[in-house]
Amino acid sequence: MKKFFSVRKTLVYLLCLSVLFAAYSAYYKIKFWDFSIKPNKTTEIFIVDAHISFKAIGEDVKVLLATPSVSKEFKILNEDVSAKNYEFTKDSNTNRMIFTSSKRKGKQDIYYRLTVYDNEETRGKVREKVPLPPEKPVYDEQQQQMANDILTASQEMEGNLPQKLIALFNQSPLNESVEAFLPIQANKRERALAVIDLLALKDVPARLVRGVKLIEGKKASSADLMLEAYESGKWRLYDLQTAKEGLPKNFILFQRGTKSLLDVEGGEDSSVRFSVLKSVTSSFKMAEHRSKLTSTDGLYKFSIYHLPLVEQNILKWLMVFPLGILVVVLMRNVVGVPTMGTFTPMLVAMSFVETGLGAGLICFGLIVAIGIALRGLLSKLNLLLVPRISSVVIFVILIIETLAVIGHNFDLKVSSSAVFFPIIITAWIIERISITWEEEGAKNARKEIFWTMVTALSTYFVIASEYIRHFMFAFNEVNLVILFIVMLLGTYTGYRLTELKRFYPLLKGK
Amino acid sequence: MFEVFKISKKLKELGILGMNARNYKFISALNKRCLYPLVDDKVQTKELALKAGINTTSEIGLIEYQHQVKNFRDMVRGCPEFVIKPAHGSGGKGVLVIKKWDNECFITASEKVLTYNQVYQHISNILSGLYSLGGQYDTALIEEMVHFSNVFEKFSYQGVPDVRIIVYKGYPAMAMTRLATSESGGRANLHQGAVGVGLDIKTGKTLTAVMCGKPISQHPDTKADLKTLCVPMWKEHLLIGAKAYEMTSLGYLGADIVLDREKGPMMLELNARPGLAIQIANSAGLIKAIKNIEKYYPKNLSPEERVDFILNNDC
Repeated sequence: MKKFFSVRKTLVYLLCLSVLFAAYSAYYKIKFWDFSIKPNKTTEIFIVDAHISFKAIGEDVKVLLATPSVSKEFKILNEDVSAKNYEFTKDSNTNRMIFTSSKRKGKQDIYYRLTVYDNEETRGKVREKVPLPPEKPVYDEQQQQMANDILTASQEMEGNLPQKLIALFNQSPLNESVEAFLPIQANKRERALAVIDLLALKDVPARLVRGVKLIEGKKASSADLMLEAYESGKWRLYDLQTAKEGLPKNFILFQRGTKSLLDVEGGEDSSVRFSVLKSVTSSFKMAEHRSKLTSTDGLYKFSIYHLPLVEQNILKWLMVFPLGILVVVLMRNVVGVPTMGTFTPMLVAMSFVETGLGAGLICFGLIVAIGIALRGLLSKLNLLLVPRISSVVIFVILIIETLAVIGHNFDLKVSSSAVFFPIIITAWIIERISITWEEEGAKNARKEIFWTMVTALSTYFVIASEYIRHFMFAFNEVNLVILFIVMLLGTYTGYRLTELKRFYPLLKGK
Repeated sequence: MFEVFKISKKLKELGILGMNARNYKFISALNKRCLYPLVDDKVQTKELALKAGINTTSEIGLIEYQHQVKNFRDMVRGCPEFVIKPAHGSGGKGVLVIKKWDNECFITASEKVLTYNQVYQHISNILSGLYSLGGQYDTALIEEMVHFSNVFEKFSYQGVPDVRIIVYKGYPAMAMTRLATSESGGRANLHQGAVGVGLDIKTGKTLTAVMCGKPISQHPDTKADLKTLCVPMWKEHLLIGAKAYEMTSLGYLGADIVLDREKGPMMLELNARPGLAIQIANSAGLIKAIKNIEKYYPKNLSPEERVDFILNNDC
């Protein structure tokens, strides 16, 4: 029993548990909140504006606009309406926005704004009932003949029947039968309807699909059309030009079937035009929407990502400290180098992150060098300890002040970065260097400075990485893992690397 | 990387104690934190030693407050020579040895001449915590000077060496003495170039001598043959170490002992976190010595019995 619950074993169990916990919550955050391991992952958001315009003819107005259904699959973040003097409701059964108003006249504008994001993994997975067999079109003899010709000609095209037909209808120059079959100067919609009729002839249910292609900067265009045909137990979408199957990237469906996209009662010359604006947002901002969509917002509210941004930024900074601490522990207990003060290197590294490495190193070197020179003068005065270190603190403040002023006036970034260094820590470094220098010689002082800087730089490279900072913030449970690693290192009884060198001569004697 | 494991494995075979293992397995396991003040504060150590019947340097006076500093000359009046040291100092830091003085002029052991003001300043520094472990306020201790035995005279360049004994659960486990050299600047720190001499725990005779990690046979300055070094009154040295265990209850301690030519061995200070350099001086591992004690040495013996056991046993 005792062996089973020894300090080290207990810590190992806890470490394993914390690893499992961190792994699970990372999985959870990635799956439900769409967090990413890499920093700066942005999610594309599209703002679709539907602009309905018509002329009112002086009667009660009722406008119906088909909208995408609000469900997980349809990745809608927000709906917004701007319609002056109109009352509006949403009929959730038919997914239509209904705008009503009493008698009015003249040009009317209604805006419907939809914010959607690209939820790739659930795109187009809509289940629907098996449709009834389509009603066959009624053709006269001549039309029937042409239809047969077209169907025969389509055999030579590639793909399945809908694809073959679409391809035939897009041939250039157009097949003679097709040209004769279509009305003169047929538009896209008329061609699609012709294809649907021909499919019905072959007992393939098909319908029109209206939607909007999410292309950035798309302005005031009418709805995009696609054809949907039911084959082998599934509705499949086809592009009306390329005959390509499947929902294209960035296509949002508004309405299916022959029912209209827009119905206006009490108005004429109605049209709906869509414009699309792409905007980019970070995955953290999206996480809240995601959590709502996946019904995990209860947990989300108690996560740090729900805090005000100011606090989040402080936490983002704090979350990376445990890694810096781990570096210090490794340098001290596993490598075994002497540093000035336990966490001094980490604090210096933190300043370097703010000043930038090059500027920070030069500036810090300058402060410490001037500080040591002044401290050298001070030691001649034989002051008592506390007043002496206090004087050094004031020296440091004065040096920083001077450097900042010089930096500002001569536009030297190196010099003005002085303000980022912690005053007390810098003062103690100066004091430590001077004392070590006096008592143990310049060689030991240099050694301590060297290893302090090595530790500071190692810490710097860990905490300065945007990648690591993001990771530690997004998956902050990792800090629990680090805690147990640090505690386990507290039971490490092996040699430090520097001790191997120190005791190496003992091996030669044997 | 492979080399690292190879060296590590060989050192382990030799029973070399590393810093992490020392702290984890011995210091934190055997030395209770609440006992540290007993050895960190030389004033307390002295009181305890007196009770335990351990010979130690005699105290002339204590200076606890800044206003007492100006009276220190009255304190030492009648003592032609004295030592000022911080009560919480370690490793000889802040120790000032005055071998001759009058009202204005103080001559140190290394023939430096100091003014009254300089000595006054030194005591002030001690009080303000310059030499104490955590930088906290300290007490200055004024002691009689030790008249060092002249057996070490030809073995040391300046300064007089002391004997360090590592005591594990009351049993002296390993011993050494450190000899200052010109290279070490008269200091007794091995990493600064002093000679470390491992002493046979049974006899007090030289086992090995090491300087800068290399075995040597001659003192580099005095040219004395280090093999001839033999610490007199060795049993008394061991007894001080053994008694220190009962006195402090520290299971793992280092005792620093000096030899006075009239009063015999005297305890200078005790250390609850003794360093690892003793292994280099002895060219031997502490773990090996400690395992031996755990395995074969009887428990519940008096200090005298333990010393006798060490002197007579052959394992």
